[in-house]
Amino acid sequence: MKRIFATMAAIVISAAVMTACGKTATENTVHSKADLEGKTIGVQLGTTGDSLASNPEVIKNAKVERYNKYADAVQALKQGKVDAVIIDSDTAKEFIKKNDDIELLSEELSEEEYAICMNLDNTALQVEINTVLTEFKTDGTLDTIKEYYDGANAGENKFKADPNADTSKGKLVMATNAGFPPYEYMEGQEIVGFDVDMMTAVCQKLGYELEIDDMEFDSIIPAVQSGKADVGVAGMSVTEDRKKNVLFSTPYTNTRLEIMVRK
Amino acid sequence: MGFIDSFKQNFIEADRWKYLWDGLLTTLEITGAAVLLGLFLGFIIAIVRCTYLKTGKMKLANILCRIYLTVIRGTPVVVQLLIIYFVVFASVNISKTFVAIIAFGINSGAYVAEIVRGGIMSIDNGQIEAGRSLGLNYRQTMTYIIMPQALKTVLPALANECIVLLKETSVAGYIAIADLTKGGDIIRSQTFSPFLPLLSVAAIYLVMVMFLTFLVGKLERRLSANDRR
Repeated sequence: MKRIFATMAAIVISAAVMTACGKTATENTVHSKADLEGKTIGVQLGTTGDSLASNPEVIKNAKVERYNKYADAVQALKQGKVDAVIIDSDTAKEFIKKNDDIELLSEELSEEEYAICMNLDNTALQVEINTVLTEFKTDGTLDTIKEYYDGANAGENKFKADPNADTSKGKLVMATNAGFPPYEYMEGQEIVGFDVDMMTAVCQKLGYELEIDDMEFDSIIPAVQSGKADVGVAGMSVTEDRKKNVLFSTPYTNTRLEIMVRK
Repeated sequence: MGFIDSFKQNFIEADRWKYLWDGLLTTLEITGAAVLLGLFLGFIIAIVRCTYLKTGKMKLANILCRIYLTVIRGTPVVVQLLIIYFVVFASVNISKTFVAIIAFGINSGAYVAEIVRGGIMSIDNGQIEAGRSLGLNYRQTMTYIIMPQALKTVLPALANECIVLLKETSVAGYIAIADLTKGGDIIRSQTFSPFLPLLSVAAIYLVMVMFLTFLVGKLERRLSANDRR
């Protein structure tokens, strides 16, 4: 009896170690958008990538795996559990920087625009934010913030919050999903990123105190609808379906959905 | 938006009810198989542990079982699920439902083991002595005298474990399994209305648990029929 158990334990442990160390993810089978047909596609729940992959008119017979985080979807891609991941281009580039075994296909899926969302009734806030965004676009503030995260001078001239800024209008709660670099991600204990810097600048201008609330991506719109958050800023693309449920500001950046595969 | 519109949007449009239906089937599949695996593991471990406690045999097996119990009961099931999916089966492209069955089965096994052990230990030692005096060996005493009595005692606790497991499978969505909870989440992410999807998911779990409770009640009554003679 002893021996049987000892052997069983040895087999289980060595099997576990062997599978954990094995490094043979399956060969990439997706080389173009057309190849996505009938494949297993990883997305993050509730993103535009999710709606695109779930739409049989765009991709036929796709098996959509909806992860709670992009990081999990990318992990599954690396391990060969999904054939491709549909992901926003800027975030994809951040993942590729850290993982040398994945790449983007040259063929993009769609053009999109990110905007700030707020409650359908809150037209006053929409007007306020739109005014500031337009101003920031003309005076180059948005570009300066963006340059820290992207381009030749990345990592230089980080946007600094003014400690003495006016906060007379009280708190403005921003719902976000801090797993979406470079727009919002965790750095130590802090949530940082382009969206965070932009909203800090917007709040300074308007006299609000910014409070960030990190949550699942698919909870952001319900949080804004129910008034738990004033704005949702999470690299959120403007879509017709979302427009029925929240107000969007003017877009603050253009982006693309792309197909990420194993090398 | 009125209730009827909201109902149409959440369940009828784009056949969204299918997310709940498919999710329900997945949840039932995972729970069913995991319960069986859990019972199998649990009983084996309980017997090993009891044999050690009563006779001092199977020392090594007992140590292995204790390690298993400590590790499994000492870590959250979500973490175990993620470990099995992303670490143990890292490079194997394996069915996710299978991963979930293994994870929840192994998890449940630890709890079942302690429940069953408690049941076996609660039977008076005199019963074993009586059995042995009648010429039955240890195995026969266990099978014909101890286990039938122990089983009756642990049945409510085992049923409870089943119910807990059914609800615990709701974390399967972490590895992108479209179970019942995730089905509701998918609908929510498309319609942006939290009310109906969440309440219907809750109602479906509640109905399943009530049905299980009803079945167990029936079984308990059957088993206790010979107590009242």
